[in-house]
Amino acid sequence: MDVVVKAVGLTRRFKMGNTLVDALRGVELTIARGEFVALMGPSGSGKSTVLNLLGGLDRPTSGEVWINGVELSDSDERTRTRYRREQVGFVFQTFNLLPRLTAEENVALPLMFSGVPLKERLARAKKLLERVGLGQRLTHRPTELSGGEQQRVAIARALVGEPALILADEPTGNLDTAIGREIMTLLRELNQEQGVTLLVVTHDPEVAAFADRVVGLRDGVVES
Amino acid sequence: MRTSFGNLGRHPVRTVLSAVGVTVGILTIVTMVSLGVGVHKEILQQFQGAGLETINVQPVTEERSAYTAFAEPKRTVLITPQLVEEMRSRSDVVEVLPRVYVPWGATVYLELGGEELSVRVYVGDSTWGLSDPFTAPPQLLAGRELTADAEGEVILSREALEALGYDEQSEWEDVIGQEVLLVLKAPRGDTESFPFVVVGVQDSEYWGANIGVTDALALKAWWYNDPDILLHEGYDRLRIKASSINDAAQIVEELQDRGFEVESLRLLLDNINRAMVVLQTMLGSIGALALLVASIGIANTMVMAVYERTREIGILKALGASPGDIRILFVTESAFIGLVGGVAGTIVGWLLGLGLNRLILAVMEWQEVPVRGTFFVVSSWLVILALVFATLVGLLSGLYPAARAARLDPIEALRYE
Repeated sequence: MDVVVKAVGLTRRFKMGNTLVDALRGVELTIARGEFVALMGPSGSGKSTVLNLLGGLDRPTSGEVWINGVELSDSDERTRTRYRREQVGFVFQTFNLLPRLTAEENVALPLMFSGVPLKERLARAKKLLERVGLGQRLTHRPTELSGGEQQRVAIARALVGEPALILADEPTGNLDTAIGREIMTLLRELNQEQGVTLLVVTHDPEVAAFADRVVGLRDGVVES
Repeated sequence: MRTSFGNLGRHPVRTVLSAVGVTVGILTIVTMVSLGVGVHKEILQQFQGAGLETINVQPVTEERSAYTAFAEPKRTVLITPQLVEEMRSRSDVVEVLPRVYVPWGATVYLELGGEELSVRVYVGDSTWGLSDPFTAPPQLLAGRELTADAEGEVILSREALEALGYDEQSEWEDVIGQEVLLVLKAPRGDTESFPFVVVGVQDSEYWGANIGVTDALALKAWWYNDPDILLHEGYDRLRIKASSINDAAQIVEELQDRGFEVESLRLLLDNINRAMVVLQTMLGSIGALALLVASIGIANTMVMAVYERTREIGILKALGASPGDIRILFVTESAFIGLVGGVAGTIVGWLLGLGLNRLILAVMEWQEVPVRGTFFVVSSWLVILALVFATLVGLLSGLYPAARAARLDPIEALRYE
């Protein structure tokens, strides 16, 4: 099996004032290439913490994170920046597009950090926006787009660097049910067509139903 | 880049206000430096016309004491014919004119057509001396100037000719080529006549006659009854014209080292230059102070911007922006504020210079001061320097806020509302 994500004994301890909080207490997780996994659990179960660790935004207190053969848990800032740039794409609940850039520019933005020339950046952005159904919205700014459209732009942005893994944190959380379903369908299609490896964090069983496999998380450990 | 410039537009008032600080600083500096450059140029032009390359050398005389107060002071450093030859052989010297004065006490009579008139004898043309470099030399009314090595030639003044009854231009023309006598009457009772041919008439207000240096030497030798006076006393003055101002400075230094008393406009100019540097430094400091305040303003604006855009920084970091990328983003923005302020400051400073220049000229005209010119010169290097400096001030002010932005934790930043 071609493994993209392998987390071994992940723990993460936060200091909240004077008390220590164990957000994760030994998470084990393996995701194969091309797999679509939903990470489910109630709020406070540690879903976002797992996502931050897999996304190279945070480091575990103990344990190991292997993504595409790179060990992230004791890497330096430079390695993690490079990892975020090349290996991972984020889709956020609140879309997090830059308000002053057009849809096209938002999608092209990550490529700027990898030093891709402007022309190629825009060409690739255009192609992806067409794929997510926004070929007519290239030069619109986020405020001129609906929530569903904004999330499509965000998905295109996550894909533009051709990452090994896409991490989506409640991607339908700010959308109504019908639009949310459209977004999940799009992610499903991208997963099947292009073999994109997906990890979607959600507390919604309907969203989780789109995935190949559902991993439950409760009180910082994976439920079996 | 787009993001950086786009963000400046988000708070136009704040951006403009922080740029205004730079504008004031650059405005001050541009105005001051352009004034310095302009005035310096004006002075240089005035002096160049007067002969900055000209050096006057004097022999050095012994200090007078109570015992020698009324005697002719002894010369210790002489302007010898050898020195004249040495100067003439130099490649950085264009012209060397030695000069001899007929003593002030000597009474000289000019005899022309049987009439006699007491005159002053001058040597060479009348552009001698530094006391008033802006006065034009007397005009030639008839004939020609004395040649450098003239012998037996004389130029008479209009005033002297009029005193002898020659009032008209045609009469002056007639005098040219006539023989005259300069008669020296010594206190010891002797009288000696020196024959001259009139070669020119000049528009001078004195009763005077101009003769060449060799003749002047002969008159002086006879007056003191010392045929070898050149050997004992040397020349009275030496005028050297160097090929350039810098060469003049070099020669002045050499001659001073050899003990001569030297006068040069260059020395005067050096003093003016020194005063200008002091002035420019003072005014420049005011501008620098303004820029310091401005840079605090920019830093404040940028710190605010970092707070406001914390979430955006988090997004950029999640998308793979390195701390360096974030730093460049904010430093660029900050440098841009500096540049905008610098452009405005340069333009306003230039306009202010033009305005002040008009004002100065108007005042000078009103006061009837005969000086015209441009006192504020904004050269291209000043513009470039001002813009580079303004940008640099912006850039430096942005370093700290940018470093803060680069250090932000992406998770915290993404959570920031």
